[in-house]
Amino acid sequence: MTKKIMFFLFAVCISLLAATYRWTDSAHSIGLIKAKGGEARHASTLESGKDTYTLIATATVIPPYRGDARVVLEGDPELDYKIYSSDPVIDLKIRRQPKFKDNVLYDLRPKDRLALWVVIKPPVLDPVCNMTYQNEFTKEHMDGKDYFFCSDGCRATFMKNPQQYKGRENVRGNYTLAFYDTKTEKAVLRVPLIFKGKGETKDAGEQHH
Amino acid sequence: MPANNITKKSIFVRKRFWFMLIAALIFLPPLSLFFQFTADSNFCGSWCPRMFFVWRKGMTISAYLLGFLRSYMGVALVFGILGSTFFFGRYWCSHLCPVGSTMEGGSRLLPKFLKINYSSVPAPSFRYGYLAVYFIASAVGIGSLCCNYCNFATVPRIFGAAFMPSDMSYFIRSAGLINLGLVVGLGFIAKGGRAYCNLLCPIGALDAISNRLGLKFGKRMSIDSEKCNGCNACAKVCPTWSIEVKEKKAAIDQLSCMPCRECEKVCAKEAINYDKHTG
Repeated sequence: MTKKIMFFLFAVCISLLAATYRWTDSAHSIGLIKAKGGEARHASTLESGKDTYTLIATATVIPPYRGDARVVLEGDPELDYKIYSSDPVIDLKIRRQPKFKDNVLYDLRPKDRLALWVVIKPPVLDPVCNMTYQNEFTKEHMDGKDYFFCSDGCRATFMKNPQQYKGRENVRGNYTLAFYDTKTEKAVLRVPLIFKGKGETKDAGEQHH
Repeated sequence: MPANNITKKSIFVRKRFWFMLIAALIFLPPLSLFFQFTADSNFCGSWCPRMFFVWRKGMTISAYLLGFLRSYMGVALVFGILGSTFFFGRYWCSHLCPVGSTMEGGSRLLPKFLKINYSSVPAPSFRYGYLAVYFIASAVGIGSLCCNYCNFATVPRIFGAAFMPSDMSYFIRSAGLINLGLVVGLGFIAKGGRAYCNLLCPIGALDAISNRLGLKFGKRMSIDSEKCNGCNACAKVCPTWSIEVKEKKAAIDQLSCMPCRECEKVCAKEAINYDKHTG
């Protein structure tokens, strides 16, 4: 009996740890696509400093909206991203589904549900001026990490006071996954995506797959 | 003429592998047949069997009920599983679940020396500890086990990843890798391939309760103690380690047993049968 109780408590402890741990390189957004702007359930928060991020954007089309929607990840600096749709591998065409090609969702109709996987690769930034990395940048190695600078001026500023600039080489701030109707160019859904520093991602909202 | 003592085994004993294979082919990529009837591509969405019954902190009753509507196929699946289990035992788990079938099938393909034997873990204790947190963590708002740790999301994507970048994307995330690790560690390299099912599947945990509650009303695996000689052969092949031999007699834990009937196959004394439970 003692062994059973011990294993029950062990399972509770390890499950609590797993349930409360928050993955910071992926998030799930839930939204409604509407002709007059749409709405996202909550902002999705990611921790800056990772190499790759994944946002699973699910949405439902609310009547009477129908049309085609272009999907864009907006923000400054620009991020390198790819969007994939969860279509069946072998489409038997039993039920019509909106088609996704070249970042455009075609033939969205009321009550359609969609799931897009956005894979984001953020650029490396100059920690002083926040310019996006280019080939001519110079490199400085410090505390096991590489930092890149657009000019000697930025490099000198950084070296004078590295603690002030460390962490700023990562993308931070607000981005938006926007769905634009291709005819009217009006947004039918805007999903906020926030990159925060380490330890600031507690309000990331519920994470689904 | 000598009496023929060899009883022909049921199709559920002889052809279990085929049931598992067909279920996997129907449910999993590249075909994903059933999901296409509802414009889905996997268990996520209207087929999700694991989220609709979980109460999340701050949600209203209408939002809770809306979850049932949103996952209507998952609701039908879960109630179908629990209902059929009540009367016939856990045939969904043993013969039809494409996720469990994949893990068990994968385990069979791997050599014995790679396998981990989890049979020293008291499965019901661990399972219901996990299930308690599964419900409570969401209800009190401290986190969630629903989607972050889900083999129903992982296994179909293992197959889909070969074809679809979206399914491959699942595994470039930390959570996807952890899920893959759980499926491998508690599935593919587990002795019997069913440690995940036995310890971490919330549907399996609810199904086991239905199995136990319906004991007097339906058919279950049962052991004729008169015939049993305690040889332990049944316990060795049980993928859910639900058979224990004590004082030269085997006993089945109905809170873990699924009628895979592997024990029935190996019992030389024909002491194990799927029948109306007597005791």
